[in-house]
Amino acid sequence: MAWLGVDVGGTFTDLVLFDQEAGRLEVIKTPSTPKNQADGILTGIGKLGIAASSLQRFAHGTTVATNTALERNGSKMVVLVTRGHKDVLVVGRGNRMAMYNIKAPPLQPLIPRSRCIEIDERLRVDGSVLRPLDEAQVEAVAEQLANDGVEAVAICFLHAYANRDHERRCAEIISRRLPQSTVTYSAEVLPEYREYERFSTTALNAYVAPRMRSYLGTLRGRLSEAGMTSSLAIMTSNGGSLPATRVEELPVLSMLSGPAAGVIAASHIGRAAGFPSLITCDMGGTSSDVCLLRDGDYGMTTEGRVGAFPVKIRQIDIHSIATAGGSIASLGTGGFLSVGPRSAGSFPGPACYGRGGTEATVTDANVVLGRLGIERPLGGQIVLDRAASLAVVTRLGEQLNLSPQAMAEGILRIATVSLAGAIKEISVMRGIDPRDFALLPFGGGGALHAADVADELGMKTILVPPFPGNFSALGLLIADFRRDLVRTRVSTTSTTTISDVRDALQALLQDADVELSNAGYGPDRRRSAASLDMRYAGQSFELSVAIVLDTAEMRSIEEAFEKVYTARYGGTMQAEIEIVSYRIAAWGLSEKPTLPSIDDEGRSREAAAVRVSPIVFGGDTHDTPIFNRDLLPLGDPISGPAVIEEAGSSTIVPPDWNVSLDSTGCLIMRRN
Amino acid sequence: MAIDPITLEVLTQALISTVREMRATVCRTASSVAIYDAKDFSCGLFAPDSQVVAQSEDIGSHVVPLPWSVRTAMEKLGATLQPGDVILANDPYTGGTHLNDVTVIYPVFQGDKLIFFPAVRAHWADVGGMVPGSMSGKATEIYQEGIRIPPIKIIEGGRVNEAAQELLLANMRVPEERLGDLNASFAACRVAEKRIHEICARYGIDQLLEAVRLDLDRAEARMRACISALPDGTFFYEDYLETFMGGKFEPLLMQLALTIDGDRMIADFTGTAPQVPFPVNSTASVSAASVFITVKSVFDPQAPLNQGSFRPIEVIAPPGTIVNVQRPAPAGSHGEIRKRVIATMVGALSQVVPDRVAGDTCRTSFHNLLGGLDTRTGREWVHYEWSAGGNGGFAENDGPSAMAPIDWGDLVTVQSSEVLELRMPLLVETSRLATDSGGAGRNRGGLSMQRTLRVLAPDTRYSLLSDGAIVPAFGVLGGLAGFPVGSWIDREGEVENFDTPGKVAGHPVELGAAVVIRSAGGGGYGDPTERDPARVAEDVREGYVSNAAAHQLYGVVLDKAGEPDAEATAALRKRLKESRFKLVAVDDASSFEAGSVSRRRIARINPADAIEARLNEDDVIEMDARKAAPLRAWLRIDPKVVRGTLPIDAHGLIILKSRLGDELELRAVLTSVHPRAVLATAAE
Repeated sequence: MAWLGVDVGGTFTDLVLFDQEAGRLEVIKTPSTPKNQADGILTGIGKLGIAASSLQRFAHGTTVATNTALERNGSKMVVLVTRGHKDVLVVGRGNRMAMYNIKAPPLQPLIPRSRCIEIDERLRVDGSVLRPLDEAQVEAVAEQLANDGVEAVAICFLHAYANRDHERRCAEIISRRLPQSTVTYSAEVLPEYREYERFSTTALNAYVAPRMRSYLGTLRGRLSEAGMTSSLAIMTSNGGSLPATRVEELPVLSMLSGPAAGVIAASHIGRAAGFPSLITCDMGGTSSDVCLLRDGDYGMTTEGRVGAFPVKIRQIDIHSIATAGGSIASLGTGGFLSVGPRSAGSFPGPACYGRGGTEATVTDANVVLGRLGIERPLGGQIVLDRAASLAVVTRLGEQLNLSPQAMAEGILRIATVSLAGAIKEISVMRGIDPRDFALLPFGGGGALHAADVADELGMKTILVPPFPGNFSALGLLIADFRRDLVRTRVSTTSTTTISDVRDALQALLQDADVELSNAGYGPDRRRSAASLDMRYAGQSFELSVAIVLDTAEMRSIEEAFEKVYTARYGGTMQAEIEIVSYRIAAWGLSEKPTLPSIDDEGRSREAAAVRVSPIVFGGDTHDTPIFNRDLLPLGDPISGPAVIEEAGSSTIVPPDWNVSLDSTGCLIMRRN
Repeated sequence: MAIDPITLEVLTQALISTVREMRATVCRTASSVAIYDAKDFSCGLFAPDSQVVAQSEDIGSHVVPLPWSVRTAMEKLGATLQPGDVILANDPYTGGTHLNDVTVIYPVFQGDKLIFFPAVRAHWADVGGMVPGSMSGKATEIYQEGIRIPPIKIIEGGRVNEAAQELLLANMRVPEERLGDLNASFAACRVAEKRIHEICARYGIDQLLEAVRLDLDRAEARMRACISALPDGTFFYEDYLETFMGGKFEPLLMQLALTIDGDRMIADFTGTAPQVPFPVNSTASVSAASVFITVKSVFDPQAPLNQGSFRPIEVIAPPGTIVNVQRPAPAGSHGEIRKRVIATMVGALSQVVPDRVAGDTCRTSFHNLLGGLDTRTGREWVHYEWSAGGNGGFAENDGPSAMAPIDWGDLVTVQSSEVLELRMPLLVETSRLATDSGGAGRNRGGLSMQRTLRVLAPDTRYSLLSDGAIVPAFGVLGGLAGFPVGSWIDREGEVENFDTPGKVAGHPVELGAAVVIRSAGGGGYGDPTERDPARVAEDVREGYVSNAAAHQLYGVVLDKAGEPDAEATAALRKRLKESRFKLVAVDDASSFEAGSVSRRRIARINPADAIEARLNEDDVIEMDARKAAPLRAWLRIDPKVVRGTLPIDAHGLIILKSRLGDELELRAVLTSVHPRAVLATAAE
C-alpha cells in the first residue's frame, strides 16, 4: 500500500509517494496544467507507475480556491445582508491602500453593490431578536435568484455569531428554492464578531465554492475511474487536512494550502534532525513564504488576506513577499533599481526558460553566475538557455554601467536583502533574534539563496531538508486532520464563571468531535487544544491565550492572559479583562511516513563528485566542485565553495561555509 | 566618495528597515491604545541638517512636519548636544503640530560626530488641559489645550532629567501611562541607534552618508524634473474654513499664490485670514507639510519619501494667520487646515496639470462625539466617530467612496457596527453610502458615508467638530461639487437640523431618537454630460446615482430596462448644455467683501439675471469656465451691475483661465441637502 501527496503549484505539480512496505519515498515533478489541475495530477501518477488502486491515502494541496479569488473568476453570487447594511462589503474599513497617491483607485468589491440584497431582520448585540426575519421577503428573493440563475448565496446578518437562527432559517428557504446552488452563512463559516471580516470570509467562501466543488468532483471522479478507493484529503490553511467533501463546503479553509504544508514538513524534519527552532524560507517562482517555528511550534494568525479581502479563519502565520525566482529586475525613473514586485511568473517565466521572457529575473542572475547549472533541465522539464539570461542581464547592466557579472550579483544582493527583510518581519520586528534559529530553505530557489540570506541576518546554521523541491508535497503526508472552531461571546472575566468558559469550549469540542467521527477518527486518535481571545476592556484587538480545558478557576485564566500580555507589551494594565472569543483546535492524528535512514554504502566524496564549474562568489570566479546529493558521504564536511545538486533544487555553499550530510538525510550547512 | 548602485539600494533598504523596526518597537511597548492600536504615531530618521532621510508607512500628517521640530531643536540645543542627550518637544509654535503629538529626538553619534537623529512623534492620549484628552472645541488659548514642552534635554549625558519629567507628568492625566509612552519612544530610538552603528560597522560611515546624500539628491532631482516640465507662472486659488462668530456664519479665507519658476515652486499664503480664538488655526509646519503631501501625492507617489523631494518647494505662511498660528491662540485642530491647504494646492495645480489632479476630497476630519452618563448603568460613555467621505474623481477613474484621504494614510475610518453596539448604548440602524453624494462628473467623485445611530440611553449629548458643512468639495474641469457634510436628528422621520451646521456642542438627544451623520462627498472630474451613458446606467443600477440625478446632472435618459436611450440622451444633453447660465466677465477692482475677521469673495449680478438663474442673495455659487477648478463666491444682487455681466477681479480670471469678455458659467452649490430627500432615496 502507498500514500501519495500532491502539491500543485503555478509551474510544477509535485508528487511524493511513500511506499509503506518498503519504507521508501519517491518524488517527481511534472508540469502543472492550470486549465484543469487534475490532468497534471493524473499524468504524475502515471509517471510514478503506480496503480491508483494501491493508494491508501491521497493528500492534496491545491491553489484552485486562491486562484479563483485572485483572478476574480468565481461564481455568480449574491450576498444577503441585514437591512441598512448593504455596503459592509463595498466600503470595507475605509482605509487607504495607496499612500501619498491622489489617484488611489476605488476599492473593487468582490461582487457589485447591486448583488448585496438587504433582508428585513435584525438581532441585538446579545443575539435577541429586534426585528424578526421576514420570511415572505426571503421567499420572494429566492424566487428571483432562481430565475436569475444564481450559483451561490452568502448570508451575512449582523450579530449572527450570537444567534444563528435567522441565518440558518434564511439558508433553509434559499436552499429549498435553489437546490443546486451553494448556500453558505456567516455563523457556519466563522461565528466571530466584526462584520466586515466575517462577511468577507463568508462571501469568499461562496464565491469560490462552485469552482472548487467542480474541480474536486472531477478529480475524485478521475481517480475513482483509475481505481482509487481511498478518500481524498485536502490541505487547509491551518496546517491540517480535511476530507475533500468538507472542503467543498468550506473551500475558504484551503486558501493557504500549499505554504501550510511546507511548514508542517519543516516542523517534522526539524525535530527529527535536532533543529526544532527554525525559520523556513520557501522560495518559488512568483512568491516566497517565510515562517518561524520555535521548538517545532508555528504561530497561528487570523489576519490573513486574499488579495484585498480579509480571510479571518485561523491559519499558520506565514509571511509572503513577491521576491522569488521570477522577480524582474528593472530601473525606475530616477535610477531606482528594483527587483520585483513585478514577476515573469510561470509564463513566460525568466528569459532562460526560452518562452519569450525579455527582462532579467533573479533566476537569470543565478544562471549568469553559474550558480544554477544548465546541465540538468529544471524539474526535469525546462532546458535552461544561458545565452538568453546573459543577454537580458547584460542589457540591464549597460544602463547602470555594470558588467554582466556585477549586475547579476547586484540583482541577487537586492533579492537577498528583501528575503532577509521578510524574515526580519517575523523575527526582529517581533522582538525575536533570528540568530537563535536555523534557516530551513526549500522550494525550487530556497537553497540557492539560503547562505546569502543567513549571512545577511547573521544566522549560522542552515538545514537543507531532503526533497527541498517537493517539500510541501511531503508535508501533505505528514499533516494531521485539523479543524479550528471559534465562537464570539464577549464578557468580562469578573462577570464570567469558570463553568461558562467550560460550557462554551465543550460545545465547540462536541462540534469538533462530530467532524472527527465523520472523518473516521476514533476517540483514541483525537487531540484538542483550547484558547481564548482576550484583551483589556477598551482595547480593540485581542491576544490569543492558551488554556487547559478543565481549568479550575477564573483567576488562572486572568493570569495566563497577563503573562501573554506582559510578554508582548512589557507590562500589565489596571483594567477589566475581557474574554472575546472561544476557540478549539481539534486534531485527528494520522500515521507519519518514516523517513529513510541514510546508510553509508556506496557513498563517497569521489562518487558524489559530478564536475567542476566556474562560479562567481563575491566578484571572483571560483572553480567550484559540483556534487550529487544522492551519493554524498555521511558526516564528512565539505568546505565551500561547492554546489550540491539534486532533482528539483541546488544548494549553494559559498567559500566561508561548509556542508555535511546527516543521518536523517538533511544537509547541514555551517558558517566557518 | 563613489558608491556602486547596488550598495546604494542595499543601504537605502537598510535605513527604511531601521524605521520599520522603530515602528514595531513602539507598537510593542507603548501604553496608549491610540498609539499601539490606532497607530497614531510616526517614526523617521533625520540627518543633522534636519532632513527626513527615511520613513516607512507612517501617517503623512505626522511625519512630514517632523523636520521643523528637529530644526528648531537643533537651533536651540544643537551646539551643546553630546552623546547620551535626548530631546523632548511638543510645542506647536516651534515646529510642532498640536500639543498631543509629543516628539522624542535622539541624536546618534559615531565617535564624537553627530550622524543621525531617529525621532518618534506619538499622539499621547492626554497632555493636560481643560478636558480629558486635551482637545477641546471650546479652547480660546493654547493653555487650555495642555502643557507646552519647548525642546528640552529630557535625558542629558545618559541621565534622565527627573525634575523635568516629574513636572511634565504631574500636569497630565494617567501619568503612569504617559511614562510608558515616553519609554516606548526611547526604546524605538535606541533600536535605531544600534542598527545605525551596525550599518556603519559593515559599510563604513562614509559610504552610509554618501548613500543618504545620493538618496536625497536623486529624490530632489526627480521632483525638480517634474516641476521643470510645468509651465512657469503664478497661479492662484482660494478656499474657506467655516466658523460661527456669535452664532453668525463667517467663512475664513485661505488664499494661495502658487509660483512655478523653472525647477522651483513657491506656495505663498499671504492674504489668508488672521488667526482666531478658536481651534481652527494651525502651525507653519503643518501648513508646509500639507503643501508637501499634495506635491508628493500629485507628482511622485511611487518613490520612498525623503526630504529631497521637498527641497525645490518654498512655503510662505504669514505669522498670525490661521496657517501660522502664534501665541496664545489654540492650535488643537490641525486636520482642517491640512485639508484646506491640500484643497488650495489642488485648485491651483488644476490650472497647470488638470490631468494629474483629482477633484477635492472630503473636506474635514469630521469628529463626531456622542455620549453621556447612562443613568441606568451608572456608566459614562463616549462614542467617537470619524467616517471618511468621498475622494475626488480623476482622469483615469472615479474617486473612491468613504476612504481615508491622502493626509490620513492607512487609518481605519469605518467602525464595526457589531463592536460599536457591544460597547455603546447605540444601534447602528443604517450604514450606507449616500446616493448622489459624489460630485457628478465624467469621472464621478466618491460617495459619502451616511450612518443612522439610534440612541438607547437617556440624556445623551451630541457634538460635532467639522468643516465642509457649507462649502463642499469642488470638482475639476466642469466636474460638480460633492455633498457637504451633514448631520441632523431624526425622530420617526421628523428631522431637526442644527442652527450652526458642522459645529454642534453638547446638543441633547433623547432616548429613542436617532442621530444621522453624513460625511462629505468627493468632487467630480470633467463634464458629467460627457460621462459614458452606459457607466451612468451602471451607477443607477448600483445605486450610486439616482434616476433623477442621471437625468438632471448627467443628461442620461434610461429606458424601462435601465439601459440608456441613445437618442433621447443626446437630445437631453444638448438641452442641458445650452441651458447653462452664463454671464460675460467684466473688470472689477476687488471682488472681496470684509467680514468681522476675514474677507470673502462675492459675485455681484443684476437682479434680472438672478431671477433668470434662480439664485438668491447670499447663495454659495460657483463660477466656472470648465478649464480647471471652479471659483466659489457668495451671491450679491446688485442693480448697479449691468445685466448679462459678471464683475470679476484679475485673480479670479486667472483661477478660471479666462479673460475679460469671456462667458463664465454661474451655478448654485448645494450648501445643504435636505435630509429627508436623502433618506427617502437611501431607503428605496
